Amino acid sequence: MNITLNHITKKYGDKTVLNIEQFDIKAGIVTGIIGPNGSGKSTLMKIIAGLDNEYTGALLIEGQKINNEIYKAMTLVFQKPYLINTDVYNNIAYPLKLRNIAADEIKSKTEKMIELLQLQEIMHQNARTLSGGEMQKVALARAIVFEPKLLLLDEPTSNIDPQTMQLMENAIRYINHINHTTVVLVTHNIRQLHRVCSQAVFMQEGKVAEQGSVSEILAKVNEDYTGDFLEQELSTKIK
Amino acid sequence: MDYIIQGFWEAIQLLLSFDKEIFGIILLTLYITIMSTFIATIIAVPLGILTGIKKFRFKKTLIRFLYTFMSMPPVIAGLFVYLILARRGPLGELELLFTPTAMIIAQVCLVAPIIMGITYNSTREKGQSIKQVAHTLGADKRQALALLLFELKADILAAIVSGFGRAISEVGAVMLVGGNIKGHTRVMTTSIAMLQSMGDYSQAIAIGLVLLALSFIINSILYHGQKVV
Ligand SMILES: Nc1ncnc2c1ncn2[C@@H]1O[C@H](COP(=O)(O)OP(=O)(O)OP(=O)(O)O)[C@@H](O)[C@H]1O
Ligand SMILES: [Mg+2]
Repeated sequence: MNITLNHITKKYGDKTVLNIEQFDIKAGIVTGIIGPNGSGKSTLMKIIAGLDNEYTGALLIEGQKINNEIYKAMTLVFQKPYLINTDVYNNIAYPLKLRNIAADEIKSKTEKMIELLQLQEIMHQNARTLSGGEMQKVALARAIVFEPKLLLLDEPTSNIDPQTMQLMENAIRYINHINHTTVVLVTHNIRQLHRVCSQAVFMQEGKVAEQGSVSEILAKVNEDYTGDFLEQELSTKIK
Repeated sequence: MDYIIQGFWEAIQLLLSFDKEIFGIILLTLYITIMSTFIATIIAVPLGILTGIKKFRFKKTLIRFLYTFMSMPPVIAGLFVYLILARRGPLGELELLFTPTAMIIAQVCLVAPIIMGITYNSTREKGQSIKQVAHTLGADKRQALALLLFELKADILAAIVSGFGRAISEVGAVMLVGGNIKGHTRVMTTSIAMLQSMGDYSQAIAIGLVLLALSFIINSILYHGQKVV
């Protein structure tokens, strides 16, 4: 699903937190969004997901305003996901149950996700008792189990160990590949940007400051904007 | 000291002999408190959830009133219902004063704000994230509401049990509108108050023990419910 944003502004009181002139997200690819804290990334994701309607401007998905069909075909994963007070298996099966899918198909699709993200050992554990990283894995599994056409990910792999990160990135690539899912990924991890994204956006103070291929963006960000931003990233890696 | 021990002893005997009067009082008490909690739940849970998830004008004022009513002294609820049901009052023609129905009405006034307040608080705390999750995963309105109720069921249970505990333990409201009429509107708390003033301690202790046991059961349900649900 391609996304078109036109003159999107979002204010909290007098403070403008989002001010996007014109911005397109191409269908079928993984687009990365980077930018400093408070630059409006999460705000933008919530607006695209239809969770926040208090903005001005036009948001079009596949050339249309969000309608029920589009709404059912997209999802957003938060950095701190809310899991339902039931076991991991039923959390993952939940979106399928909402769609009146046949029981055996629910079972096979859920099991496929459990395998893909290696959740076998915790599949019968209550989701509320999971560690932070496990929760993020379950939230990702729950988001891709129904094969959405648009997948919005807001820092889905913060606090994730390197191996699990690989697992999750594979899952993101997998759904993008087999389902042509359009993915928008907010991350502070430059290496992740390299590994999974083909296009990138740099946000600053509520604006889309740069967009282009990942290497173009990184080159520009390095020169024009905060060299700090990359240095910080590198220094945390070295630690 | 002796009269306490003797009181206890006679109390146990009264309970074991299934004293008709005492059990009548217990049954009436349960009838009134269960009915009032039930009616209050039907009114207050939906209102609490709505107040928790919706934005509307005068919400803050409503909440301030709600909190005031949550800690309203029972005699005030009793007085209020008394004035309305009294012969000269607006609903005097119904002749409900000094009936179990009047006691139920007074307790609903007392308990509904408690149930609504507790439901409102937990909905406000968790409602937003639950709604967001339901929406991002493609739930329609009905499915989102179902998820909300599923996620809040422990909190709603806690609200109902707190309301029930309040209803069964208060004296003021049922005394004012019920009048503690023997065999008609006499409930556990009003009879303890009366027996104590008459110096009949064994009966008072017997009923007191049952009231304590009921409180214990209520709290066990609350404790277990929150773990199991
Ligand atoms: N409810 C709110 N009220 C007032 N300001 C808000 C509110 N929510 C967000 N903001 C402000 O909007 C700006 C953008 O926030 P947003 O969460 O989109 O940033 P972000 O780019 O996702 O940052 P991070 O990298 O830390 O996640 C911030 O300055 C934040 O303080
Ligand atoms: Mg954010």
